Amino acid sequence: MISVQDLTYTYPGATGPSLSGLSLTVPAGQVCAVIGANGAGKSTLCHALTGFIPHFFRGTLQGGLRVADLSIPDTPLAELAGTIGLVFQNPFNQITGARFSVLEEVAFGLENLGIPREEILDRCRSALELTGLQGLADRSPYDLSGGQMQRLAIASMLAMRPRVLVLDEPTSQLDPAGTEAVFLHLRQLASTGQTTVLLAEHKLEWVAAFADRVLVLSAGSLAADGPPRQVLGSGDLERAGLRSSRYTLVARRAQELGLASAAPLPVTLEQAVEFLT
Amino acid sequence: MSQGFSLYLARDSGLHRLHPLTKLSLAATLLVAAFALPGPWSSYAVFLLVLLPLAAWGKILPGFLRSVARSVLPFAISLFLIQGLLWPGGSPVAWLGPLSLKAEGLAFALASTGRILMIVSSFLLLALSTRPDLLMIALAQRGFPSTLSYIVVTTIQIVPYFQGKARAILDAQRSRGLETEGGVRRRLRALLPLVVPLVLSSILDIEERAIALEARAFGRRGTKTSLQVLPDSRAQSVLRWAILALAPLLLVAGLVL
Repeated sequence: MISVQDLTYTYPGATGPSLSGLSLTVPAGQVCAVIGANGAGKSTLCHALTGFIPHFFRGTLQGGLRVADLSIPDTPLAELAGTIGLVFQNPFNQITGARFSVLEEVAFGLENLGIPREEILDRCRSALELTGLQGLADRSPYDLSGGQMQRLAIASMLAMRPRVLVLDEPTSQLDPAGTEAVFLHLRQLASTGQTTVLLAEHKLEWVAAFADRVLVLSAGSLAADGPPRQVLGSGDLERAGLRSSRYTLVARRAQELGLASAAPLPVTLEQAVEFLT
Repeated sequence: MSQGFSLYLARDSGLHRLHPLTKLSLAATLLVAAFALPGPWSSYAVFLLVLLPLAAWGKILPGFLRSVARSVLPFAISLFLIQGLLWPGGSPVAWLGPLSLKAEGLAFALASTGRILMIVSSFLLLALSTRPDLLMIALAQRGFPSTLSYIVVTTIQIVPYFQGKARAILDAQRSRGLETEGGVRRRLRALLPLVVPLVLSSILDIEERAIALEARAFGRRGTKTSLQVLPDSRAQSVLRWAILALAPLLLVAGLVL
């Protein structure tokens, strides 16, 4: 569903590339988390997969980039919308301002796609329900809290039913309950096989629990790639400038003190309990 | 539902339920009529016999009168004073110390105030009884560019957001010791550290907003649909055309008579 081959991208005016020689294949229906230190290229990768690189940010792009059977450099942005979705961090700037209620805000993208009215209503209602906003449908989008706005941004994209959904730190303003709801839903969405999810995220505990696969970016290249337990429990994380989760740190310390065996290190609470008992 | 920076008053009334374009065509025709109707009193008659009853029907009479007074009174007062006192070579009707009010000047002020009253109040009637987004949707359905209607509606919503942002910047700069109160000079000097962050951050916002819009297929060509249904009827469509046809008739009549 996502195929990146030897991708190198340099922002206009930048001295070095932000992505260098990146290769990556993501099959349909996978939830793939991208982690990395600040400036490692997470947002750049998100923009490239959604076509904003090279169509919006320009700069020089080399290598192969195909998403949802479309060659990104050869497809105009207007044709990518609806097939490839993007949710980014700042919720305020994702509210279009063109509509006066939450329901209409979610409908905005569907109206632009020319979806019939009845179907718009169905899709909006289910997107609002999935993001827990059903009670707020008539509110002004600007009257919502940061977390509610962020859920609205996600709902607006879910309603468009993209084949590939790219999310760049979509839970930055959400509390743990809201974050869990979003991750659970992304998990469900991918399990139908209709949608492939790629998610840049800092919250490693959630990544460990919900992602099928973790990619570690470091200086624009892939530093590690594999299932959460393998990647998050290994030393690759520290080498990429990231800190392991507290579960891994506790387990590592226990191993050093000879309190635990040499099994693979845990990355979630459940695994840690199992590891230490 | 908060309507942001708009005049709209939500009511359940027949006027509110009219198609936005019907109300827009009335305002447009009254704009033409303000210049075509003869005599100083006809515009006051239109205000009393057409606009006031419509406002009452729309259950917005108090708000309507308040908005009209607030926007027309300052004009009216200055027109009567300036034209009345300064009309060259007119016949005086009243003396205010060494100054005199001239009959011709007062007549001119009366006619001008009538025009302003008619134009302002007809557009206020439209603004108070019509949701701006629905008006824009109606226009877009008639081929009005969606980018332009986007700009209009977004501006309405975004002004309060920007006010909030400006306040946050003001507080942030004050907490770093910026003096914003005092004489004119001190205030002027404080302006720069407030305006620069607001403008710069807004420019950064624009980039993200453009991305968000593209991701929502705003740039897609082809037919768009609308969640909002604007109820329209054959009768309203006929009424609309009749109102619009009145404008050129009034113009011709005004020229001939």
